[in-house]
Amino acid sequence: MVLGDREAEESDWVENLWHAIPAPKARVEVTDPDRTADALDRGLTELAHGQLRGPAETSDHDHGAAAGHGEQPEADEHAEHGGHEADGDHGGHDMHTGHETHDEHDGHDMHRAHDGHDMHGGDEAHGDHDMHGGHDPHGGHHGHAGHDMGGLVDGLPMADRADDRDGLRLDRLHVPLGPALADWPAGLILRMALQGDVVQEVTVETVAVPPSPRPPSWGFRAFWDEPWLRTAAGERVSKGDAARRLCAAHLDSLGRFFAVAGWADMAARTRYVRDRALAGADAAELTPLVRPLIRRAGRSWTLRRLTTGLGVLRTGQARHAGVTGPALVADGDAHSRMLMWLDAVGRSAAACDETETLDLDGAEAIGPRGRVDGPVPPSQALLDVLPGLLEGTEFACARIIVASLDPDPDELAHVPAAGMLHG
Amino acid sequence: MDAAVFWILAVLAVVSGVWVFRFDSMARATFSLLTSLLCVGGLVILLGLDYLGIVIVLMMTIEMAIMAVFMVMYMMNPAGLMPMTMMHNKKGAAVVCGLVFALLAAGILLAPWPARRGKAPADPTMELGMSLMGPQMLTMMTLGLALFATIVATVVLATRRGRYDRLGDDLRARRADDPVRGGVGQ
Amino acid sequence: MAERTPLWAVFVLPALLVAVALVTAGVDAVLAAGARTGRPASLREVAVRAAGPGREVLRQLVQQPRRTRASDVPLARIGAALLPVAAVLAAVVLPLGFRSVSDLPDGIVWFNAMEALAWAAVWLAGWGPNSTLSLIGGYRFLAQGLAYELPHMLAITTAALGAESLRVGEVVDAQAGLWFAVWMPAAFGIYLLSAMAMAFWGPFDQPAGQDVAGGAAAELSGADRVLFLGGRWLLLVVAAAFSVPLFLGGGHGPLLPGWAWTVLKTAAVLAFLVWARRRIPTLRMERYLELAWVVLTPLAIAQALVVAVVVLNR
Repeated sequence: MVLGDREAEESDWVENLWHAIPAPKARVEVTDPDRTADALDRGLTELAHGQLRGPAETSDHDHGAAAGHGEQPEADEHAEHGGHEADGDHGGHDMHTGHETHDEHDGHDMHRAHDGHDMHGGDEAHGDHDMHGGHDPHGGHHGHAGHDMGGLVDGLPMADRADDRDGLRLDRLHVPLGPALADWPAGLILRMALQGDVVQEVTVETVAVPPSPRPPSWGFRAFWDEPWLRTAAGERVSKGDAARRLCAAHLDSLGRFFAVAGWADMAARTRYVRDRALAGADAAELTPLVRPLIRRAGRSWTLRRLTTGLGVLRTGQARHAGVTGPALVADGDAHSRMLMWLDAVGRSAAACDETETLDLDGAEAIGPRGRVDGPVPPSQALLDVLPGLLEGTEFACARIIVASLDPDPDELAHVPAAGMLHG
Repeated sequence: MDAAVFWILAVLAVVSGVWVFRFDSMARATFSLLTSLLCVGGLVILLGLDYLGIVIVLMMTIEMAIMAVFMVMYMMNPAGLMPMTMMHNKKGAAVVCGLVFALLAAGILLAPWPARRGKAPADPTMELGMSLMGPQMLTMMTLGLALFATIVATVVLATRRGRYDRLGDDLRARRADDPVRGGVGQ
Repeated sequence: MAERTPLWAVFVLPALLVAVALVTAGVDAVLAAGARTGRPASLREVAVRAAGPGREVLRQLVQQPRRTRASDVPLARIGAALLPVAAVLAAVVLPLGFRSVSDLPDGIVWFNAMEALAWAAVWLAGWGPNSTLSLIGGYRFLAQGLAYELPHMLAITTAALGAESLRVGEVVDAQAGLWFAVWMPAAFGIYLLSAMAMAFWGPFDQPAGQDVAGGAAAELSGADRVLFLGGRWLLLVVAAAFSVPLFLGGGHGPLLPGWAWTVLKTAAVLAFLVWARRRIPTLRMERYLELAWVVLTPLAIAQALVVAVVVLNR
């Protein structure tokens, strides 16, 4: 399933991803929000009847992408939703270029809200490993080992060498992470220099967003920031809606955080509650759903042991970098940021029935990731602090740090109007 | 039956030993060597020395898996990914190999092998343990301690950061300043 | 112990292991689905969920295989196939009741050696596809191996010490009265941890972790994937089942026949492991290693010392 603009569909990484997904597969293009349901049904029918579209050969493709095979909960969801239980080909394979909120297809209104999302790496696949060091055993003899460095083997660049953090001169590999990777902020690309699994250097990129051709009434608003952006733009938004969006946004982030921390059960549960929140459950339903989650995650001794000391971001440093959201208030490591989220989830879940108008009244509009009416989007500040936090960490820690900050590349695409710059 | 197993294992051991030098990938060479060693372990089991044979399999598997990492890590060849050759100094190596082979073969052929006296013990593992841990206990203990001291000394000499780097000049820091934090939190 | 095991047992063993593994995976799938959406609505839904792993196997087998560029296919294949082979070979010394396929005189060392083959298998499967994420997964298993193997070896040695034999049958016989789990609790606890670690499953799933998109298994597809991930479940079942003769008295128990006790105890251990998986996030080795070496290894040595003193004074 590819959501969004033509440009996004035709970009290289989407093509690569498509090639990497094994058949049987189906590609659905949703360009009109009102016909989402039709498009999905068509995709399912296509899968069920095995009408394969797109290039069929995938052997020997030039990137090592892995689709997260049917282990993902989505596989079941699709099967149940689509009402077909064919063994060989249920929907674990459609390319989710959609935001993770599309796990359950009963909330089609969510899709509409997502229109602004031009391109998202889905949560089912990762791709674009175009920079593997090759080790082709059938290649020619290159004389003595080690005399050919930095060359190409089978069209793939080789690793080079650099000093590691202990002063040993070891190989390093340049690996791009993203834009489509399981439990990864969709659209974010980190170009990493890895030594073994230690991150040595990081540069941050995002998938280039083409200037939106849409009429301004659609707005190009980051989904999670919508209530605050609309309020700032003078529209009327109720406090409850804002609280609901905040709750869901943090649950979304927490889902990724738990998944990356290897707590599949909590991740699945968190995402279920997030979908309930977005589908419009009231406070009386949400609170009992949210409370056990908060208790379990907050009290988990192992989770605390495993995530303390990762990506420590002190208030001073954070403020200097322009970070404004929970990451600023948390004043600490990945675990303290998670606690901030849990706390905010608990409070906003209780508040999501309030009907009063959200009134900024001169105060700053603070979205899930920070101040949305500031000079730069909050995620830009998070991305700015990322490289400093990631360098020298191990791969697993790096994933947790990224998940604990959870920048949203959508926000970067939102260019604040001139009048909003000063809030 | 035993003869068939012997020949299969023996041929496999030699062939995979040769392939160590024919493969041009570090990973393949390493695991070819492992195959050869596992076959040797099998041969030792065939001799009736179950315990020794199984221990060879255990030790060699773990050792070669770890060694693969180190070979890949320290090779001049980046990441061991480049096609490479295991042959260096071909002439010298050939001479040394030939001489060693001749010496060993001569040894096998010329040594006066004693004929078997008595019969094999019922439990060779027990006998092995008794002979190692009985009369040789002092030697084994000394050896063990010496090896352990060597390991500790090597690590101490190799590490760049001492306790003052970790715990501060007065060794009073509550938490050691390490590049990667451990789980016990000391 | 004296009776010879018939030859057909050799063929029954893998089938039995696969069946137990499928059941365990099915239970795990039901619990995972339950964790997501709460209690299942109907019995039929439970059945559908439990059949999930089986369906997944079939799906993998008919799916189009993928191959990465410049991959070392033979190595990856060997790695994937070695895992179930190692699990079945390790199971050769497992007694069902009081009979195993082959009660080797050094059964405990044999089990350890076969389980160590997984080190090579996972690394090969991670290296073969020539992909960064799967390579990281392969390396992680070696780091994990170094962390869990030391306390693990000491724990199983402690059980052998208690029975004064390396023969699994004699270890079971020594527990006719008191189970080893009762007077060697530390060794038993460490063994349960390493059972999950050697199958790189549950809290120890970092080598095949979600954060590296499946790690060592990331690039495997089709039959390779089935063998590798199935081998992982087999390894888990075998490791859990081996704790029964080592620490839980094997087939000893009142009323029921030996084989029933073995099955019951194995099921209990597996249920505990599946439950533990739900409660604990993935343990990262850079944190766990210190725990394993600074806390668990001395603990295991102390446990072995206690057992040695008891055995000497018996």
